[in-house]
Amino acid sequence: MAEILAYVHKKGLFHNLHPFTKILFILLFGTMAILSTNIVFLSVLIVVILFLAYCANLGPEVMQQFRLIVIMSVVLIGITIITMPGGENLGYLIPAIIPVIGGNIQVTTGAIDFGIVLTLRFMILICAFQLFVISTQPRDIVHTMERMRIPIDYTLMFLIALRFIPTLQIEGKRIHEAQLARGFNPGSGFIGKIKSVAPIVIPLVSNALARANVLGLTIDIRGYRTQIRTRLREFSFKKRDYFTVGLLVIAGCGYIFLIIHQII
Amino acid sequence: MIELENVSYTYPHTVQKALHQISLSLPKGKCIMVTGPSGAGKTTLCLAAAGILYHEYGGKKEGRVNLEGKDIAGFAGLSELAKKIGIVFDDAEAQMIFTTVEEEILSALEHRGLDAREIEERYASIMTTAYLAELQNRSPHNLSGGQKQRVALAATLALGNDILILDEPTSELDEHATTRIVEILHALKTQGKTILLIEHKFRHFVKMVDILVVMENGKISAAGTPDEVLRNEQMRKIVTADFSDFRADPAHQMNIQKKPQEPVISVRDLSFTYGEIPALGSINLTIGSGEFLAIVGENGSGKTTLVKHFNGLLLPTNGDVFVKGINTKTCSIADLARHVGLVFQNPDHMFFADTVGEEVAFGLHNMGMTYDTDTINRTLNEVGLLHTKALYPRWLSRGERQRLAIACVIAMRPEILVLDEPTTGLDGNEARLVMDTLKNFQLKGHTVVIITHNHDIADYCADRVIRMEKGRIISDSNGMVN
Repeated sequence: MAEILAYVHKKGLFHNLHPFTKILFILLFGTMAILSTNIVFLSVLIVVILFLAYCANLGPEVMQQFRLIVIMSVVLIGITIITMPGGENLGYLIPAIIPVIGGNIQVTTGAIDFGIVLTLRFMILICAFQLFVISTQPRDIVHTMERMRIPIDYTLMFLIALRFIPTLQIEGKRIHEAQLARGFNPGSGFIGKIKSVAPIVIPLVSNALARANVLGLTIDIRGYRTQIRTRLREFSFKKRDYFTVGLLVIAGCGYIFLIIHQII
Repeated sequence: MIELENVSYTYPHTVQKALHQISLSLPKGKCIMVTGPSGAGKTTLCLAAAGILYHEYGGKKEGRVNLEGKDIAGFAGLSELAKKIGIVFDDAEAQMIFTTVEEEILSALEHRGLDAREIEERYASIMTTAYLAELQNRSPHNLSGGQKQRVALAATLALGNDILILDEPTSELDEHATTRIVEILHALKTQGKTILLIEHKFRHFVKMVDILVVMENGKISAAGTPDEVLRNEQMRKIVTADFSDFRADPAHQMNIQKKPQEPVISVRDLSFTYGEIPALGSINLTIGSGEFLAIVGENGSGKTTLVKHFNGLLLPTNGDVFVKGINTKTCSIADLARHVGLVFQNPDHMFFADTVGEEVAFGLHNMGMTYDTDTINRTLNEVGLLHTKALYPRWLSRGERQRLAIACVIAMRPEILVLDEPTTGLDGNEARLVMDTLKNFQLKGHTVVIITHNHDIADYCADRVIRMEKGRIISDSNGMVN
């Protein structure tokens, strides 16, 4: 089973970069995504990320999350339509032909525009973060965070959070199979998800809590908290990193130029 | 090296003592094996001996644990204790922190203050001795239970501690891997390492055990050399399960010799791949009604993948699987569950209800079967758990939870019962109870299929044994796999 947000052992552009370079990449793309409201510019950013993912041999892994992103987009646009009407009215969410409740909830250009902006921002943040996580071994992330003088407790929290994503995914699948074998058939769709809560989520949470204790002890016993470490097989900053950082700086300056001249 | 003096311990928010007046000495270079029923306090004993109880747990502590003559509570904390003691917990999955096997072992070595060359040497050495070279780039989360145990053990052994505390390090390992681990531990003991071992596989470790300890209800029931302890019949039943009388049973003999019955499961040219990784190839198998079939084979040989095809959890990449004449490709899992009950290895994947009784009723409700209190009581009585009916399922011991998992499935009265390693982590008595339940189920006309690493169970309980290797069936015989 393909794991969500787990390191993928491959060779490629992103795998060869120093983790610090990749963190800069996330920071730049994340900042541009958050500050910009221009749909064309945000679309260009997402195309650039997807292009980089394919060049880095990580296209299928990034696209794996696309279904989730599409669902999220629909939800986000739905929420903005309901909560932030503005601009020209394009119609109604509940068609006027439906008696009594028809003709309610306006669908406006302003709400759709903002919904699309939010969706593109999330897409950029998710895809950029995913590219970083699936191309960097957690050990290298921890070492880089240590060098960035981030307190060890925060680093370990981040490590545990990353580690639990695939665990919960796999454990959830096993629990689901165990309940299916007992004739459990919650059905599909929203109602099915609601029915699944007790038989799937309760064992999932109970098992995860039991596991967290042993995981915490293992982290202490292996000495990760001591911060005494032999530096081994560590990434060094190479020419390709200087080149990439250079490109990122140019991209950042270009963005500032576009902002100052109000082009975007 | 480690000395426990009158140690008693009560977990926070509980009344009953998990350890009661335990006095035990672990001399340098010796191996102590502790065994006993689940819930006897073996894991708590490990936590006490490793100093974890004194540094990380609340609760009421009495007595004293000395490490090399010094009170273990006086050490600076786990980081200091970890320099002397290496510990492997029973939950291998929980000890997997990173995303590749290589990272898992290297990162443990990096925090020991060793120079880079020594780390590389130790890494290469442990990868060879623990047979992990092929797995070095695999994600630990996607390994089989046995493979995870080998990674957890290797990550600890690589550290080179003088004292090793190992809580059921081989519970999910196959015969071959267990033998290999025993060899490694035996060699370490010869080098002067001190080992405290929680185990149920006494026969595998018999040559290296100096002191055998049997625990029950938080107390030491017997301690001494293995010969001394095993002289007591009751202790022998706990330490080593004896299934030989199953084979002597006339009903069992009749089952072995009788002509093939009407097939309930037919597997034709089955092959299956996980993504691009082949897991099963060219499997042809027919299981007759009323048979007791054992599937044996090394970790990762495809046993679980095969049985998941019996109830439609997996569908063949090529070939067909027929259950009672129904092609699994044309039938839903819920419908197949009426014919095939599957009990997974980890019972905790099932439990969510507030009481044992409700847990059993869940399957019956799903199936739309009519049931009443008597139905639930009868099922619980079959597995010897009637007295626990009103309890929260997760409060039960491992052995009881395993039997509850079986009860949840047999309550639905499936014609075919499939169990994935149902005796893992159980002592002799508990394993015997599980096998008694399954043999009784067979005597009532049901078909039983079990996956097991225990050759005694395959030899004495099954009418037929198939052995798998690398996704294929390599032998099919009437019992006696040794």
